Amino acid sequence: MKFRLTPITLFFLLVFPSHSSSQDNQVLVPEGVSTMEPSFKFKNTVHTFYMDRYEVSYGEFSVVFPKHPSPPGAKLHPVSDVSWSEASTYCRSKNMRLPTELEWEKAARGEKGWIYPWGNKVLKKRAHPFYSGLIKRRVGYFKRDVSPYGIYGMASSVWEWTSTEINGKKVARGGLWNFHLDYEFSKTFERNVYNPESRFPFLGFRCAQSP
Amino acid sequence: MIKRRQFLQYLSAFGTNLFFQISSAWAKSSDKDFFEGSDYIGKTRGGDFQKFYVNFWKTMRRIDGNSWQLEIGGLVKNPTRFSLAEVRSLPLKSQISRLKCVECWSAKAEWAGFHISDIESIVQPDKSSTGVLFHCGDNYQEYLERTSLSHPRTLLAYAMDGNSLSDGHGFPLRVIAPFKYGYKNPKAILKMEYVDGTVSGTWSKIGPYSTDGTILPGYDHPLDRGKVKRRIAGGEIFD
Repeated sequence: MKFRLTPITLFFLLVFPSHSSSQDNQVLVPEGVSTMEPSFKFKNTVHTFYMDRYEVSYGEFSVVFPKHPSPPGAKLHPVSDVSWSEASTYCRSKNMRLPTELEWEKAARGEKGWIYPWGNKVLKKRAHPFYSGLIKRRVGYFKRDVSPYGIYGMASSVWEWTSTEINGKKVARGGLWNFHLDYEFSKTFERNVYNPESRFPFLGFRCAQSP
Repeated sequence: MIKRRQFLQYLSAFGTNLFFQISSAWAKSSDKDFFEGSDYIGKTRGGDFQKFYVNFWKTMRRIDGNSWQLEIGGLVKNPTRFSLAEVRSLPLKSQISRLKCVECWSAKAEWAGFHISDIESIVQPDKSSTGVLFHCGDNYQEYLERTSLSHPRTLLAYAMDGNSLSDGHGFPLRVIAPFKYGYKNPKAILKMEYVDGTVSGTWSKIGPYSTDGTILPGYDHPLDRGKVKRRIAGGEIFD
């Protein structure tokens, strides 16, 4: 069942923003103005859109791309080693699309423009085990990493493709930063750019949809 | 049961290694390359290596290029040994690339060598082989999957900045895979063994090092830029 924007749901979204998510896998992000600084020097107005609550998992991805290599026992882990066009194709197969980076940022930081999806303070909990590679968990595993709209894994887990292009490269958002085998959460405004054909074990995606 | 002779050999090797480790650690406080002029090479940041650090699993005796041979075996149709001259006669490929250490520093050089396809056409790996286990002069072992080894940016290098590889940088042959952390770029290669499954390398067995070793989004302290901290997007660092 898809979450529909009706006057009643809009009322609840405005009054109880922290409970705005549906039980479905897609979350409605209502239209509104939000700060985008310091990534952009303007206020962001995005129209209402839906976004996946979780990153796309290996299990979900394998339905559309059955030959994509999947590590044993990783069915619920965020899929990675996916090119931009594969991610885009997957979303289209669901009648969805990749989010723009403005949508992604709005979904991560909310109208108050938080530094992290959960607020402005760094969590005491470590972002990741001390390790040179990614240790993946099932999507949505880290309950504290949740945005004002109820979207999970935007500051940790893996980096995510967006539809936004800069000089022939595609923008990715979110994910972890490795520093000498230690890790920190991404801030909601941080970004990387990659060649669209790139495949990395740290790069996955989630889908969005216009109403 | 360890025999007396074996015990004495282990003790001797341990003592020698300990001596060089302590000595090289002491030498780090000065700007000297402790191993310069000796028959040995090991981890150092001294002398010329201040510009490009080198790590070794163990202090090792320098390799004699005249007697060295690259042994290629395991799951291949034609196990072969290549002399240094034969290795250097393979089609030349060169590239400028940055080596990024998981310790956070990085350094850039021009590397020259050959692509693995030029030896695979001779040794003919079995289809069942998934990767290569490299055996190195310092007893270091590292595994690289064949997809990474056949990557167009991966090189088996025998020269650096226009000169033969120095002992410190892995004479006579090393891997340059610039999208992987330095520990996935084995030096002083003695043997390449084609295997049919992922093998944990030396560091992956004993430390928090992934067997994959892809450079992750994170931070870098490039030695050629005064170690000024910068963010990197992951994968090869092209600048």
